[in-house]
Amino acid sequence: MWKFSLRRILIMIPQLFFLSLLIFVLAKMMPGDALSGQIDPNIDPARIEELRIQMGWYDPWHQQYAAWVGNLLQGDLGDSFRFKMPVTELIGQRIANSFWLSVATLIFTYLIAIPLGITSGRFNDTWKDQLITGYSYLGFATPLFIFALVMLWLFGFQLQWFPSSGSIEPGLEPGTFEYFMSKFYHLLLPALSMALITTFSTIQYLRNDIVDTKQKEFILTARAKGASESRVYNKHILRNSLLPIAAFLGFEITGLIGGSIFIETIFSYPGMGQLLIESISLRDYSVVTATTLLFGMASILGALLSDIILSIIDPRIRIK
Amino acid sequence: MGAKSVNVEVKSNVVKSPSGISVIWREIVKDKIALISLIFLVLVTAFVYGVSLVLDQKEIVKVDLFSIYEPPNDEFILGTDYGGRDVFGQLIIGTRNSLSIAILVTVMTGVIGIVYGLVSGYFGGHIDNIMMRILDFFMILPFTMIVIAFVAIIPKYSVWTFSLIMTAFLWMGLARLVRSRTLAEKELDYIQAAKTLGTSNIKIIFKHVLPNVSSLIIVSMTLSLAGNIGLESGLSFLGFGFPENTPSLGTLLSYARNPQVLEHRWWIWVPASVMILLLMLCVNNVGTALRRATDARQRRG
Amino acid sequence: MAEKLLEIQNLKTSFRIRDDYFAAVDDVTLTVNKNEVLAIVGESGCGKSALAFSIMGLHNRAKIEGNILFKDEDIANIAPSKLNKLRGNKMGMIFQDPLTALNPLMEIGDQIGEALLLHNKELSKSKRKERVIELLNKVGIPRPEYVYEQFPHELSGGMRQRVIIAIAIANKPDLLIADEPTTALDVTIQSQILDLIKDLKDEMDSGIVLITHDLGVVAEMADRVAVMYAGQIVELADVDTLFEEPLHPYTRSLFNSIPNTAEKQDKLHVIQGIVPSLQNLPREGCRFAPRIPWIDNSAHEAHPELHEVKPGHFVRCTCYKHFSFPEHSKEEQQHGVS
Repeated sequence: MWKFSLRRILIMIPQLFFLSLLIFVLAKMMPGDALSGQIDPNIDPARIEELRIQMGWYDPWHQQYAAWVGNLLQGDLGDSFRFKMPVTELIGQRIANSFWLSVATLIFTYLIAIPLGITSGRFNDTWKDQLITGYSYLGFATPLFIFALVMLWLFGFQLQWFPSSGSIEPGLEPGTFEYFMSKFYHLLLPALSMALITTFSTIQYLRNDIVDTKQKEFILTARAKGASESRVYNKHILRNSLLPIAAFLGFEITGLIGGSIFIETIFSYPGMGQLLIESISLRDYSVVTATTLLFGMASILGALLSDIILSIIDPRIRIK
Repeated sequence: MGAKSVNVEVKSNVVKSPSGISVIWREIVKDKIALISLIFLVLVTAFVYGVSLVLDQKEIVKVDLFSIYEPPNDEFILGTDYGGRDVFGQLIIGTRNSLSIAILVTVMTGVIGIVYGLVSGYFGGHIDNIMMRILDFFMILPFTMIVIAFVAIIPKYSVWTFSLIMTAFLWMGLARLVRSRTLAEKELDYIQAAKTLGTSNIKIIFKHVLPNVSSLIIVSMTLSLAGNIGLESGLSFLGFGFPENTPSLGTLLSYARNPQVLEHRWWIWVPASVMILLLMLCVNNVGTALRRATDARQRRG
Repeated sequence: MAEKLLEIQNLKTSFRIRDDYFAAVDDVTLTVNKNEVLAIVGESGCGKSALAFSIMGLHNRAKIEGNILFKDEDIANIAPSKLNKLRGNKMGMIFQDPLTALNPLMEIGDQIGEALLLHNKELSKSKRKERVIELLNKVGIPRPEYVYEQFPHELSGGMRQRVIIAIAIANKPDLLIADEPTTALDVTIQSQILDLIKDLKDEMDSGIVLITHDLGVVAEMADRVAVMYAGQIVELADVDTLFEEPLHPYTRSLFNSIPNTAEKQDKLHVIQGIVPSLQNLPREGCRFAPRIPWIDNSAHEAHPELHEVKPGHFVRCTCYKHFSFPEHSKEEQQHGVS
């Protein structure tokens, strides 16, 4: 298993390399100075050119690239021009918010999707299945942001069950119980909205996998051994069907990244997604570069995680 | 009873196997939902494209400060927005624009995906390896974020640029499907037979493999059309799709980012939401009916 | 004297297609005795696998009519909990495709162990492992301790089939149903597996129902043979009689179709027509009639019955009486060789 993981990690390195190259190229195409954030993109273009030459913008590209990567590895993501502070400081708090949002979303997704998927698969072609499948079919066709808008409108404004923006009530002491509860409370609606949308496809996927597995021959073997229905389900069907779900974890993470951009914007939740959008409108391109780079890295790591989990659970991959 | 002559005709009930189109059509008709969806789509498309010819886009988007934020009334069926512009007109033109982009992107990703998948799957070996690595890399990139990044930096931004950017990061799904199907088809005897006859590779790919992959392609493209409608609206919603002077379903929704609009001026964003939902649902319905038609195990007809 | 183990009476297994029920097994009556091999022969689609699954109660949604008496207890429609006590315990099944019949994610040892676990709750874990190793040895698997921890995809086809057999015999069943146990295997492995099954039968004194389409396997293994066509038994006899004096036109056609290596043949004999699909089965009259069109209609019975032509030799319909092939010579040569 270690051999497999090692090989997989080795594949990841060129991926990271190409990602950084891509981001580097994008950054060079952005106005101003997207790599270190020293130059105001709004000033006179001629002046920008002067400053650029001063800063070594026109040095050979591999030199610049190496310098940039060097900085990255030391944890230096450049400075935000707008806020006149290192990008890392700016990101700091927001990453935590996005992280908790993602975790909450994942937990909700699995809590809802797995029982529903199992029920739908186990009792397929009965009214339970049709209800659940119908529900997930409808939801599948709903774009995330519309759903989130409606959720916000309904639960945030009309019913006023949840706060409609921010991540915390202002004025609370960090570390206190109220602080924690308020953070949690603000998380709920955005996380639920994002989770519900993800559940649609997960439920369908799980259900279809269970229906497929049910027809496999080894299920007949299990029955021929005299196993009861519940044992057949728990020991054979579920074990085989939940496996791909676990492997999907990595792709869920990629989806969360895309989704967070919408969710955080709609719910005015101060996370990385909102930061990306804000910094584009503020023309704070160094932040844009840094955020994009981090998102990309998270996706790549997510895919790595998927593959490794899959290799742990599925002996066919583990043992070559 | 002696044996009769061997040349007696065997009476058989030969059932003629139905043609592809009729199978598809039968499946759609049998599935009432799909049928209604298809009819709805045709009607809406005809309506918006037809009426758009008559409406003048510039007129619709002209700001009229005297009619700001009017709720639906006699003069404006769906009221006006913050610039006093007619929402209903924007809805019609917006639907047309959104549909156009979605169709355009679907077609472009289709072409790229099909060719990429066919080549990668057919030639296999190293070529396939490299192509798949490239594809994997593209797949890993978070779509929304990358598109936003690209849009932010492109200076001269037009409908074409937007479509191209979307296409550049959406072709992978279809390519993957086509490739794995091609890999499987390649091993089958009829391909080997064609090769032994000396048929050129290009001919084999397009005359033999492609028709057998076509059902997969049709289903996949239909379903991705639904997705693309949603994607375009999403991007426009964030402000990274159509510019404001070109109404689309997404731009109408972007007004809802303003809490005032979300809470009080429903006529601006609700109709567009409903339209997106209906369009996506209907295309999905037709797509699932198509998928059932191509998978004999699941047919209802 | 033969001791009755399994008695199938007028078994009819129907499947629902849209709104109608179609019988895949149509009015089958058979007996299986202890320490004997009853072979069921037929082409694909004749209902033999459906018959096997009916006995084990493995059909998902099928209507089962008639009686299946296992040691005098009717198991045709009994409660699942009762059936589960018998399955894997007194009744075992060997499946056709060893790769798909094994759970790809479970160790071999666990899969065999499960059969023991379900019926011997009192066995401790270590005892169970011992027994599994014993079983692996018995079915001829080398290095059983090592194989215990392996997964199905790591084994060869022959080894996998041995594992399936180990699962089937884990609890020394009285009845063993083997559904085309060697079809998915290489010819060289086939005979090993068949020998194994025969040895086990002798050791456990079990009755075996052997489903196959291969007459060679029948010749080697069977004591009695039932020939099935389109859901019905068309001929039933002990193996020597069947090979020396086949009577039903279908049986004779099957034998005729075997390529004769001794004589030079210009054309292989092919039975005209195709096996009808479940929905297209003619339900009245002799079902084989459409495939021997040169035989006049009057030769067939309107409601073909099984006639006991000689003690223990049953044939369905009356068309066998004056049946002959269009070319006589081929058939006579065939009999000389087998």
